[in-house]
Amino acid sequence: MASKAKASQPAVIHKVIMVGSGGVGKSALTLQFMYEEFVEDYEPTKADSYRKKVVLDGEEVQIDILDTAGQEDYAAIRDNYFRSGEGFLCVFSITEQESFQATAEFREQILRVKNDDNIPFLLVGNKADLEDRRQVTLDEANQRAHGWNVPYVETSAKTRANVDKVFYDLMREIRSRKMKASQQSNGQKGKKTKKRKCTIL
Amino acid sequence: MADGRLAQDLSSAGYDPEHYVSRLSEEGEMPLLEMKQKVQILSDKTAQELKKNVYKNYSQFIETAREISILEGEMYQVSRMLTEQKALMTSMLEMSLVSDKAVAVDEPQKEAEAVNPEEETRRNLAFLLEKVEGVSSVTEVPGRQLVHNGDLAELDMESFNQVQKVHMFLLNDSLMIASWLTNRRGPVRYRFQGLYELDNLAIVNIRDAGAVKNSFKVLMFPDSKIYAADSAKSKRQWLDILEETKKKKLARDKQKKEAALRLAEQQNTGPTTPKKEEASKLDDVDTAKDAMETALLGVDWLQELPENLDMCIAQRDFEGAVDLVEKVNSHLKDCQKTPAVKEFRARIDHRVKQLTEGLLSELQVTAERSLRGGPRAARRAVAQLIRLGKSAQACSLFLKMRSTIIKYNIRQLKFEGATSLYVRCLCGVFFSSLSETGREFHKAFPQLLGCFSAFIVWTKTEMENFITIFKRHVFDSKSSLATISECVSIATNHCAELANGGLDVGFYLDNMISEELEKAILESRHQIIESIKFRAGEDQWRPLNLGTETECSRYVDDMASVGLDIRDSVYNGCFISLTLNTTQFCKTCMVLAQSLLLIHKSEREALVTETLVLVFTEQVRHLDVSLASEKFKNDKKFILKNSQYILEVLMSKIEHMYKTQSILFPPQLVAVNAEYRRLKSLVS
Repeated sequence: MASKAKASQPAVIHKVIMVGSGGVGKSALTLQFMYEEFVEDYEPTKADSYRKKVVLDGEEVQIDILDTAGQEDYAAIRDNYFRSGEGFLCVFSITEQESFQATAEFREQILRVKNDDNIPFLLVGNKADLEDRRQVTLDEANQRAHGWNVPYVETSAKTRANVDKVFYDLMREIRSRKMKASQQSNGQKGKKTKKRKCTIL
Repeated sequence: MADGRLAQDLSSAGYDPEHYVSRLSEEGEMPLLEMKQKVQILSDKTAQELKKNVYKNYSQFIETAREISILEGEMYQVSRMLTEQKALMTSMLEMSLVSDKAVAVDEPQKEAEAVNPEEETRRNLAFLLEKVEGVSSVTEVPGRQLVHNGDLAELDMESFNQVQKVHMFLLNDSLMIASWLTNRRGPVRYRFQGLYELDNLAIVNIRDAGAVKNSFKVLMFPDSKIYAADSAKSKRQWLDILEETKKKKLARDKQKKEAALRLAEQQNTGPTTPKKEEASKLDDVDTAKDAMETALLGVDWLQELPENLDMCIAQRDFEGAVDLVEKVNSHLKDCQKTPAVKEFRARIDHRVKQLTEGLLSELQVTAERSLRGGPRAARRAVAQLIRLGKSAQACSLFLKMRSTIIKYNIRQLKFEGATSLYVRCLCGVFFSSLSETGREFHKAFPQLLGCFSAFIVWTKTEMENFITIFKRHVFDSKSSLATISECVSIATNHCAELANGGLDVGFYLDNMISEELEKAILESRHQIIESIKFRAGEDQWRPLNLGTETECSRYVDDMASVGLDIRDSVYNGCFISLTLNTTQFCKTCMVLAQSLLLIHKSEREALVTETLVLVFTEQVRHLDVSLASEKFKNDKKFILKNSQYILEVLMSKIEHMYKTQSILFPPQLVAVNAEYRRLKSLVS
């Protein structure tokens, strides 16, 4: 029975990784998205994985979220996490300039590990409800996102503002990338066959 | 000598009073009387000695009692802290029931390993060999140990369906996965599947969702796997132990790296030591030197010293710790500055730092610790700090602590009732604290003359603080001159007492309050003169009539309370042959003179004299005017009588006051005294 139920689950899984410094609200965003609850107490995450069935533009898919530890000391292990991801939500807190600065490091590491400049990636400024404590201006965040050629979204895990948006936007990116990749491989195959044909000719 | 023998005789074990007395009485009356006298002297002496001893015991008792009361407070605090900690621990236990057990299970295992790691390893790995197929390469690595193992189910990454049952072995440096053998032969149950280095392993907890429960992900590049445990508890245990083992391995690697680095450093510094000819030789010379160093450091007590030092510090046996430090310092002094010695030195230095911090915190005044730390405890910490050569720090902390104590004690005083009463308490507390600090300082910092200047500076600041409070209460509260002078004289007396003990702070007090004091004198003088002028205008030169005899005697008593005798002036039961003006003036003058003389100082002499002279002159002017006035033509005799009382009786009283205070009666006042003769001549 159980195995049958699992078998009926949608085959498409989009793997999302939450990255960012400790305490910026990666887990809070994830929990808000998963269970629609806001956890006030802060407890550093080690590494948690979530999976949820969602409907993305009419299509039933699964999202697999890897909530990483902001305080992970092992760089090698961070690499391992990143390798398993298809898309990244790079989170910082708009109330903490340092967390914003750290996003550059995360971006660099992800690009290095994935070896792909166009990896689905969203720059997320969390804690937008704490406008009065803002340290990172909309301008500088937008500028950085523009420089990286990625979207920038401000969220609030507390008020749930834009929480669904960032996950769905990222999934769409991942989906389009996957489609492109399959087309490309198909195209390559076509080219190859053409080439082969040429040689035959 | 005879007394001594007598005492000995009387207190000897075989003393038989009847026999003794009968033997004495045999010889007649004289020796008996003599004996009686002797016994009397002995008893007096004994009584005196007893008294002395009681006195000594008494002072010791007081000191001990003080220490005990302080100790009691400390104990109370300790017990409160302990309860707090206990509560904390229980709540922590409740919070992590599962992980706590895991650690508890782990602990004895670790201990066993520590006892005989080699054997344990062999046994562990033998167990592996027996159970798992194809692990010979795994077991060959020396130092590898089994940390944890258990059955898990491997799940499919995508669908979460169970793929196979596995057994996971966590070794101290890697994670080994073995799959179940379905057709088992003999004791072998599993087949080796893979060995993964812990460094490159990431463990991810999977939140329970739907059918997937108690599972976690292991990322090992390039692939990753999901395993499910059979219970939440078992999963928690796996996650905790995995993380802990990873941490341990990281720490171990770090240590190894550092050791390697040190080794490299050692080899680098080797050739640069002054003895180049030695270094130019082959490696074995180096090793020989190393061996020598190790021998030098190889002494048992030296090797154990860092641990012992740690233990002493942990047990707060500061004396023992300092003893050890001194011992090792004297030992290492003769050693060459070789890298090994340097390293050892660094280890010791680190602990000395810890020790110093511990001692300093002993002296630190913190909110949660009681302010009344026993003076002995402080002295002890200070003594050890001095031995460690940190006398300056000890001194400043010690004084800071004393400051807090003084502040605390002053704050404990309640401001109620008369100003002079409060000031008396304030002075009592402050000056006794000051002198106590002085005594403690003497005991704690003997021979350290440098520290004494710090003490003087401290005294000055404390004194300034005190005077600020003093001034606020005495001068800002618009007290009368009598009160002010009483307060000032209390403080001055305390200062004089301190000066007797060798600490002269009186001049601070004087410097800082003289301005306000002079202002107060001037103000009071002005008031008195104004009131004299006012009363002069009203004076009708009538004898004072108090109506009844009781009223009269009460008035007489009232005057006597300030030191004036008017009994001779009473007539007809209720009449006094002086005017109200005169008696009031006399009273005011007496109080004024008393106050002024209380705060008399050579620097203020001119002001004091001038004040008294001016007050008298004002009154004399009134007498002059009255005598010359037509209105009081018939009262001249009466006026003269009043004048006599003021200028002779009152003045002689004041002169007497001067004398009892052994201050020279100023000639200006003598001149005022002569006015009476002038007035008399005016009449006749």
